[in-house]
Amino acid sequence: MASSRRAEGLRRPTDPPLLILVSLAEGPKHGHALAKDIEDFAGVRLGPGALYGAITRLDERGLIEAVGCDDRRRPYRITAPGSAALAEALADMQHVARVGVARLRLQGHHA
Amino acid sequence: VKRDGTGYQRLLRWYPREWRDRYGEEFLAMMEDTLDGRRLTLRLRISVARGGLRERRHQVRTRLTGRTTAKRLERVFRLLVAFLAGSVAATIPATVKASPPPARAWLAAAAQDALIAVCALAGLCILAGGAVALPAFGRFLRAGGWPKIRRRAIWAAGATAAAGGGLTWLVVAPRDQTYVKLTGSWAYTLGVTVTAIALAIAFWLWAASATAAARHLRLAAGVRAAEKMVSTVIVATVLFMIPLQDFWYAAIQPSASQLFAGLSLFVLAGVATHGMLRAAVRRSRRLLAKAPR
Repeated sequence: MASSRRAEGLRRPTDPPLLILVSLAEGPKHGHALAKDIEDFAGVRLGPGALYGAITRLDERGLIEAVGCDDRRRPYRITAPGSAALAEALADMQHVARVGVARLRLQGHHA
Repeated sequence: VKRDGTGYQRLLRWYPREWRDRYGEEFLAMMEDTLDGRRLTLRLRISVARGGLRERRHQVRTRLTGRTTAKRLERVFRLLVAFLAGSVAATIPATVKASPPPARAWLAAAAQDALIAVCALAGLCILAGGAVALPAFGRFLRAGGWPKIRRRAIWAAGATAAAGGGLTWLVVAPRDQTYVKLTGSWAYTLGVTVTAIALAIAFWLWAASATAAARHLRLAAGVRAAEKMVSTVIVATVLFMIPLQDFWYAAIQPSASQLFAGLSLFVLAGVATHGMLRAAVRRSRRLLAKAPR
């Protein structure tokens, strides 16, 4: 499972696919709005190539989907499998963070 | 920064054509928003070039690892359907010259009438599919979309002209020759084969042009659902053309094996049509359910 997530780019907090899923968890957004939102909440500036590379992979895997609209700026929304994959990735990260914080506290206690 | 031909559009060439067809317009819109009238920076150029090269590498990899097997199978199926339609159409000029034995005249007449009805249904479906997409297609052309489908449409028109020439020759050349003489003539058989291939290529190229154009059209969910149903019915009509032609051959040159082949293919076409229609209805419902209200 972990290896399949790695392939989907959902392992590290700065992986563009993970950032896109987090951004879309709030609601549908088009490319430029996604880039701005990601810069706001994660401080990561995704170039157009990296952003659309990640959008393409997520779209191919059915984790996000385009919302039908008449505008050239086509918004995307997260799908049910996308939400599940994001929840799982975030739970793993949370677990690692919790263990890390606990061990740091333990070290501080011994010192 | 110029959008037409020199600026963003040229940058898009880093990406494979299929990708440009699917994501090109929205990618350009995002570039416009990102730059907001400013000059294209080196950083952005590099980002786009890297993204494009990565996409090309990904495409090669997926082709090699067979992740697109389903798509490849679909392409082969489409080609097969085009070839079947082409071969049926190319043999029609000779078949009208045949006279069946009186005992089987009813079978020949029934098969011929059914074949004509199926061809008419396919033609009606093609017209209906074109008609529902026509307003969106008009908007697409007015918005300068022609260059995006020009190359495919020109190739399709060329193949149609070649196929039309072949069909004309098949109708005009035999004059007063009988069906038996025609089927025994190697020149006529070669003409039928070449025309069938030209027709198949023309059908396939038109279908590919329509698919490419549809990717650029902004169609309502209802129209997309209708297009799915119509294209499924067109494929089904082609599948039925083969057994109907077999029935006709069985009437002209009475043969139990030909009749059995016709019956088997008829049942197979029925089963395939049932499956395809169910899948199309399911996909159409999904499309309608996803549509924003």
